[in-house]
Amino acid sequence: MITIHGISKEFKEGITGRRVKALDSLVLEIKQGEVFGFLGPNGAGKSTTIKILMNLIYSDTGKAEIGGKDVRNPEARRLVGYLPENPYFYDYLTADELLWFGGRTSGMDSRSIRERSDVLVKQVDLLNARKRPLRTYSKGMLQRAGLALALIHDPDVVILDEPMSGLDPIGRKMVGDLLVDLKGQGKTVFFSSHILNDIERFSDRAGIIIKGKLRMVDTLSNLLSTGKSLEDVFMRQVAIAEGGTAE
Amino acid sequence: MTALWPIALITFKEGIRNRAIYGITLFALLLFGATALVATMIPQEVGKVSVDMALSTISFTGLLLVLFVGINLMAKDLDKRTIYTVLARPLSRSQYIFGKFLGMILLILVTMCVLSLLAMAAIFLLKMSISGYFTRFSWPLIGLSIFLTILMLVLLSAISFLFASFTSSSFITLVLTIITYIIGHSISGVKALVETPSEVLGFGVSPVTVTLVRVAYYLFPNLSLFNIKLQAAHDLPVSTSYVAWTVLYGVVYICLSITLAAIIFRKKEFP
Repeated sequence: MITIHGISKEFKEGITGRRVKALDSLVLEIKQGEVFGFLGPNGAGKSTTIKILMNLIYSDTGKAEIGGKDVRNPEARRLVGYLPENPYFYDYLTADELLWFGGRTSGMDSRSIRERSDVLVKQVDLLNARKRPLRTYSKGMLQRAGLALALIHDPDVVILDEPMSGLDPIGRKMVGDLLVDLKGQGKTVFFSSHILNDIERFSDRAGIIIKGKLRMVDTLSNLLSTGKSLEDVFMRQVAIAEGGTAE
Repeated sequence: MTALWPIALITFKEGIRNRAIYGITLFALLLFGATALVATMIPQEVGKVSVDMALSTISFTGLLLVLFVGINLMAKDLDKRTIYTVLARPLSRSQYIFGKFLGMILLILVTMCVLSLLAMAAIFLLKMSISGYFTRFSWPLIGLSIFLTILMLVLLSAISFLFASFTSSSFITLVLTIITYIIGHSISGVKALVETPSEVLGFGVSPVTVTLVRVAYYLFPNLSLFNIKLQAAHDLPVSTSYVAWTVLYGVVYICLSITLAAIIFRKKEFP
């Protein structure tokens, strides 16, 4: 469902314009109905990968496809629901208006948008706040509004960038339940996290990315079989990437 | 068009609900009140002064709208990264720019229509109370002046979109737009001045300065073309060909600016 064919990306850094490699020949395939956890430390290249998939930045080499469509084609995004890290929306719009916007741009009619919005605002616990301007929302509420927006058009693929970031325990549980629910519906979920526990709880398969290179990718059970715990596996990979040894 | 309308509508709603709009409208109301007060101090000229002041108020408050509400509508998407969620929808970068601009045009039209009605009401009330001093007065010319002011504001907004497409912050966009406004209103006068023979001027202008001014004249929009407040206040004739050429100039400039903004925006990355 999501195919990444050897994408690389460099950014210019500082006033000297020194080039820093953010992604190095990344190859990855995520099958339909799979929940894929993308694990890595801060600055590893998780968000860069997601932004390339969402066509927010362009890869220097290689290409990426969603549902067989090149990510540079806007039609590819018809299949996708996306939640950025720390989402920010229009201050003076309400959650209902935000969902109307998401639905309309995805080609939904007003009735379908209303029906789907009713379900989603209940699911993300924004029923009483749906008519309030988004500037009055807390960080957790914005995150939940973002999730509803990502799901308004019932996409086949859901891409979430650090979906648990900054959430309180109740918010984390809600997002967790939502991930389980999406998995139950057979949706393809690609989510990034630097929290090992989240990857362990929700993923079918996971990839470990460090310094722009995909170090490991396998089913969770296979990954866990290579060490005492996911933390142990992850720390070994970090040590190898830093030029040390696995032991 | 199906993708443009939702973007245009949320842009319009976000703009019209902005608290700055209320401040701008209140400011305009105070100026309209001042118009009545000042105009009655000079009874012989009350017609001219009231029309001139009302039209200047519309133009100035429109400028505030473009600078402090309009620029934010586009540039804040980039500053605060709201654009991530917008571009995640199945729409192209060009559709985003055109939709945003359509929303901005709607905002300018609605706000200017409200302000124009208030201005006309202020002029009408003055005219009713001291009609004897409104000898040279023309509603159509006032309407034409407002129309050209709106066109100038849409043009300025298109240019602010162009700046926002390649700058990284709303502050830089704001500064560049203000500079364009100032140059745009003064450049034709400056060009006429530097091209005046030195015998007439009494001093010489270096060829470099003349070339620079000429480059600026062709690069920046000539916003003074859209200013016919003086003609409206004094009921002086404005030729149809002047209006037609000004409208054509404005429309071409708007189309070029917004197309260029869309082309630049297509290449832009949002890391």
